[in-house]
Amino acid sequence: MVRLSDVATVSFRQVTRKRLRFLLTMLGIAIGVAAVVGVVSLGEGVRTLSVEMIKDQSDLTLLEVNADIRDGVMIPITGQKIGEIERDPAIAGAVPSQRITYATERQTFISALDAAYSGFESVFTPTYLDGRGVQTGTEEVVFGYDLAETLRRYEGIRIGDRFTLLLRDYDEEGRPADIRQEFILVGVLRERGDELDLLMITDSGRTEGPFDSVFVRVESPDMVFPVVERVNGLGLASHGAFEQIRAVNQLFDIIVMVLSGFTGISLVIGALMIMNTMIISVFERTREIGISMAIGASSGDILRLILSECLFIGIAGGILGNLLGVAFAGVINSVGRNFVIAELGAGFSGFAGADIVMVTPEILLIGMVIAIVLSLLSGIYPALKAARLHPADAIRSL
Amino acid sequence: MAAIIQTEDLQKRFGREVMALDGVTISVEEGEYVTVTGRSGSGKSTLLNIIGCLDQPTGGTVRIAGATVDYTNQHQLVDLRRTRLGFVFQHFSLISGMTASENVEYPLIFSGVPKTERKKRAMEMLELVGILDRADHLPGELSGGQQQRVAISRALVANPSLVLADEPTGNLDSTTGGEIISLMKSINDESGTTFLIVTHEPGIWIGTDQTIHLADGRLVA
Ligand SMILES: Nc1ncnc2c1ncn2[C@@H]1O[C@H](COP(=O)(O)OP(=O)(O)OP(=O)(O)O)[C@@H](O)[C@H]1O
Ligand SMILES: [Mg+2]
Repeated sequence: MVRLSDVATVSFRQVTRKRLRFLLTMLGIAIGVAAVVGVVSLGEGVRTLSVEMIKDQSDLTLLEVNADIRDGVMIPITGQKIGEIERDPAIAGAVPSQRITYATERQTFISALDAAYSGFESVFTPTYLDGRGVQTGTEEVVFGYDLAETLRRYEGIRIGDRFTLLLRDYDEEGRPADIRQEFILVGVLRERGDELDLLMITDSGRTEGPFDSVFVRVESPDMVFPVVERVNGLGLASHGAFEQIRAVNQLFDIIVMVLSGFTGISLVIGALMIMNTMIISVFERTREIGISMAIGASSGDILRLILSECLFIGIAGGILGNLLGVAFAGVINSVGRNFVIAELGAGFSGFAGADIVMVTPEILLIGMVIAIVLSLLSGIYPALKAARLHPADAIRSL
Repeated sequence: MAAIIQTEDLQKRFGREVMALDGVTISVEEGEYVTVTGRSGSGKSTLLNIIGCLDQPTGGTVRIAGATVDYTNQHQLVDLRRTRLGFVFQHFSLISGMTASENVEYPLIFSGVPKTERKKRAMEMLELVGILDRADHLPGELSGGQQQRVAISRALVANPSLVLADEPTGNLDSTTGGEIISLMKSINDESGTTFLIVTHEPGIWIGTDQTIHLADGRLVA
C-alpha cells in the first residue's frame, strides 16, 4: 500500500511542476473563496453592528406580554399564567396591567395604564421629575413626561391638582354614556424616550383580571429570547425591542444568502477551471501514467495521486482566498468605513468605532472547506479518467 | 531449472482484422537472457505487454513463475507488476519532474517501502549501472544512454525475477546501445535476473540463451 505522505510528496511535485498553471488554477478558486468570505463577513459585520445598535438604543429586557389569538381562538391572560410568568427564574419583575382610554372634557385623549404600582416600579424603575409614586387603590396618578407637558399647557393640570376624566361607555341602547372619574396628579416621570412618556399611570387596586397585558423585566439581555420562548409556550404573545433584532437577523439571513448565491457563481467557475486544468494535465501525462502503472501503480494509486493534486490546489486556493478575504475586510474597515457610514446616513454613525466587516474563524473555516470540497469534486472526473487508462494503450501514446 | 514464463497458444486480436499474436507458445527458464526479434509489426511489443500484464490476450494462457495469470484480476496484475516484473521502455520513460534517484525510487513508493530504505536501494541501483554521480540530475539533463541506465535501475529496484525491455536501445547510437546491452547481460550473469529483450535488429547480439523470432504474430524457427 502506498503511504499517504508519499502520495502527498509526489502529487505536490506534480502540481508545482507547472507553476504558472497551478497558480492560475488556484487563483480561480481563491477568488471565489475570497468573494464568499468577503460577502459573508461583511453581512455578518453589519448584522452584528445593527443588533448592537438596537441593544444600545432600546430597552431590550422589557417585554410586553399580551393575550394571543391562535387558530381564531383568543387565549386570555389568566391568573395561573401570570403566576407562571412571575415564577420564571429569568424574570426580575412582572406586572399585569390594563389599558384604559380616557378623555378630558375638552376631548383630549389620554392612555392610562392601570397596574399594581409596586410591580410597575419593579419593571420600569421610574424616576420622578416631580412628586412621587401613587398609592394603591387611590385616585392618585402619575404622568409620563410628554403627557404632563401637554396637559399642563392645554388643560392647566399641575402636580397636586384634582381633575376629572371621562371614560367612554355605552348604555343599554348603545348610546354613549360617559362615566366621570376623579384623579389627583401626584407625580411626573422623567423623560425616558419610550411609550411611558405618553402614559398616565394609575393603580386602582384591582387584583382580579381581566388584564390585557403583563409587563415583564427580564434579568439580562441574553435571557430575553429564552423567556420569549417560554412565554409563547404559555400561549401568549410577547412584544419588545427583541422583535427588531429578530427582524434584522431574518433580513440579514436573506441578504447573506442571496449574496453568497451570487458569489457562488465565481466558485462554480473556479471549480470548472480546476476540472479543465486537470483533464488537460491527465491527457498530457497519459504515457507517464501508463508507465507508473507498469512499474507498480494500481488504478487506486493513480486516483489518489490525481485527487491529491486537486487537494493541493484546493488548500492553496483556500488559503489564498481567505487571505484575500481578510485583506478585503481590512480595506473596507479602514478605508471604506467612512464611505459606508456616509451612504447609510447619520443613524448608522454607531458604526464609526467598530469593524464593519467581521471575519470570524468560522467564516475562514467555511472558506477553506468550500475550496477543498470543490477542488476534490472537480477532480473526480479527471482522476477516474486517469485511473481507467489501459496501461498498454497509455504507454503507446505519445 | 523452473520456467519463469510459459505461454500456451497465445493470441491477441485487435479489432476484426489484426492478429497481432497468432498462437505463440514459448517457455523461458529462470535466469535466461532472451531476445525477441522480428520485423516491425510482427507482434514483439504485443507479446511483451501481455507477459508484462499491461495488456490482456484474446486467447491462450500465460503462466508466470508457475501461476496462471488471471487477466481479469486487477489485484493479481498489480501485484505481479510490483513484485515480479521490471520494465524498460524504448525512450522517454522517466518522469520528467523527478531526479534520477527519485525516478529509481518511484516503483517502491507503490509497494509502501519507507523513504530511507527507498533512498538506499535507489543509490545501490544507480551505482550498479554506473551513474551514481548523476543521482540528482533531472532526466532532461541526462544523455539518452544515461536515461536508459536510470530506467534499468528503476526496473531492477524492486528486485524482480523478470525484466522486460522493449527496444531499450532503439533510440541510441550503436556504441551506446552496445553498452546498455552488455550492462543488462552482466546484470543477468551476476544476479540471475531473467531478461526478455525486444529488438528488431536480429543477429547482432551475442550470448543470448534463447531467441524468439516472430513473423506476423507467429513463431518462426
Ligand atoms: N492498440 C492497437 N490497436 C490496433 N492494432 C494494434 C494495436 N497495437 C498493435 N497493433 C497491431 O498489432 C500488430 C503488432 O504490433 P506490435 O506493436 O506488437 O509490433 P512490433 O513487433 O512491436 O513492431 P515494432 O517493431 O514496430 O515496434 C501490428 O500490426 C499493429 O498495427
Ligand atoms: Mg514494438
